[in-house]
Amino acid sequence: MILPEFFALLSIDVFLLLSLLTCLLEDRFPKAIPYIYQIAALIGFGHLLVSREFLTIFGEYMRFWYSFFYLLIALANIIAVNLYLAVEKKLWTLAKAWSGVITFPITVISVFFVSNYGYLQGAQFPTLILQVGLVISAIVMGVSISIFLSPDLLNKLKEVRR
Amino acid sequence: MEIRKIIFRKEMKLVTLLLTSLLIASVSAATYYSMLMQPRVTVSTPAIKFSQAPDNPAGSTINNSWCRLTAKSYPNATLTYEKAVYLNNTESNTNSFRLRHVTITPTNGTAEVGNWTSIKFLVYNSSGYVFSLNYTVNSNNWILQPSSGETSYYTIPANGGWWIKLETLSPATATIGNICDIQISVDVQE
Repeated sequence: MILPEFFALLSIDVFLLLSLLTCLLEDRFPKAIPYIYQIAALIGFGHLLVSREFLTIFGEYMRFWYSFFYLLIALANIIAVNLYLAVEKKLWTLAKAWSGVITFPITVISVFFVSNYGYLQGAQFPTLILQVGLVISAIVMGVSISIFLSPDLLNKLKEVRR
Repeated sequence: MEIRKIIFRKEMKLVTLLLTSLLIASVSAATYYSMLMQPRVTVSTPAIKFSQAPDNPAGSTINNSWCRLTAKSYPNATLTYEKAVYLNNTESNTNSFRLRHVTITPTNGTAEVGNWTSIKFLVYNSSGYVFSLNYTVNSNNWILQPSSGETSYYTIPANGGWWIKLETLSPATATIGNICDIQISVDVQE
């Protein structure tokens, strides 16, 4: 059984991971970023404490939505860091690695747990989500395999654009 | 090396962040675990429930988890309620249950007991008789069958419907208007 607070716990771990990674790559990020993520994780812990104390007052519906919103913020931060590396810092290799190692797996894990929670709670997700998820996965896998097999593909595409 | 430089070295920062991260992650996981361990009691349909049957005695009350059968007994004639109440397994898996005697009035040793010869609760399924809990009278005392007052557990199949047949009999000398109250528990092993 998964409680709605599981998403808050997942988000805390995501923020802690971001904190450690931004500390490791400190030359590429503002100095305060790792500490800000630690504070975000601490806020999540406070959030768990409040949830525990008011478990009977807050309904499961409300608990799900504020935990899910916190998870969305954590995921948005991962994507924002990815975009920051790619667009602001123009570190394409690092951005690609970040996307493959952090952004994509964490997004997939989050989608898995949210859909699993919905299934256990008897929530009806539109069937289209499965198809769209499969299409996105197929596209990402296809692009990744293409780039893996021919690393010059991206450079060629850039040249074609020019 | 100056202390200030040591404090602001990258390794020191990383170790500090790693330690605080471990602390936050473990206390958060412990908090979540404590929430997971909080007991929760949900009101739900019983695994085996009572429901209306064709021969419910008039004036009976039947709810999912309890029922009150207001049966009659005739002097020198056996009265049978073929299907007094249904016992339905509401789940898609098998469940076991038994009948257990709780109380009976009039109590043993009182003269009023002599107004009944027998009161039998027989459990049936579509294949026939399964088991029973019987009350018979022997000189102002109730004799229970089984003598322990509780039957063995019997397994009702998934979504199966069994029923209780109620048989009553009073002696020819019985006084009209006497009342016998019996409380029986249906113990279910889920």
